[in-house]
Amino acid sequence: MTVDSFKFLPRIIATFYKMNEREPQYPIPWTPLKQPLHAMKFALVTSGGLYCKGTQDPFDIEREKNNPTWGDPSYRVIPVDIQQQDLAVSHLHLNTSDIEVDFNILLPIQRIQEFAQQGRIGAVADEHYALMGYQGFPPDSHTWESEYGPKIARAMLNEGVHAVLLTPA
Amino acid sequence: MPVLARTLEAAGLSTLLITPMPYWAERVGTPRTLAVEYPFGHALGLPGEPAMQQQILAEAFEALEKIKDPGTVMHSPQQWPGSVEQAIQLWQPLEPSPIITALTPKFREMLRKRRKT
Repeated sequence: MTVDSFKFLPRIIATFYKMNEREPQYPIPWTPLKQPLHAMKFALVTSGGLYCKGTQDPFDIEREKNNPTWGDPSYRVIPVDIQQQDLAVSHLHLNTSDIEVDFNILLPIQRIQEFAQQGRIGAVADEHYALMGYQGFPPDSHTWESEYGPKIARAMLNEGVHAVLLTPA
Repeated sequence: MPVLARTLEAAGLSTLLITPMPYWAERVGTPRTLAVEYPFGHALGLPGEPAMQQQILAEAFEALEKIKDPGTVMHSPQQWPGSVEQAIQLWQPLEPSPIITALTPKFREMLRKRRKT
């Protein structure tokens, strides 16, 4: 089976994507796996706009409403023991209601802990990360690349993380 | 998000992107990708369906181990259980995003001109 990237996209959004033609920059970065899965520590990253209700600010969707070509590049740290009622979502490009029922559909923190409990992977990090995927139009991800990405990577490496699963919204 | 995978990979982490949009992952040049034909915002499936979510995670770990060449995309065999029309409604915001609202009229105009020529 080959996944159809445009199956669930309205035609107008599909056309937007196809207008953004680009070629990969080579070489593609590569960090080979250094140990088997059952010895590896994992962290999760999503761009679904998740944040901890009460203790963190939402992503700045008010500024985006006033300036639609801008998207908030900041990130939030989501602790591994987060509970559904303590989590909220700010994302203007997504219907967030299913995530507000079960965040595991986008940030599978509880599911991945089950794999660790069964010994199929080594461990799950204490800290996971959420960003908000809309980075303006035309998309501008330089803050992610030059600032927040490296910062997140350092925090993960300090925590002893080996591998990361990323789930765009 | 594929950009972020590259940044983390370059910093010394092994990454896997789980995405409904392999088209974009390929164009950015993502280290390892598992493509899943689920609607946006539903990378692991439906809420309250742990077995469905575990299935995608199991495929993700398998892809992480199997992929040996940078830029490889593996495709999940899973199919969305509902109709395409329902899925499109399920993931889209109730109101169009500000940028779509701002650009749609200009864009329609552009397409119309293009068809005329």
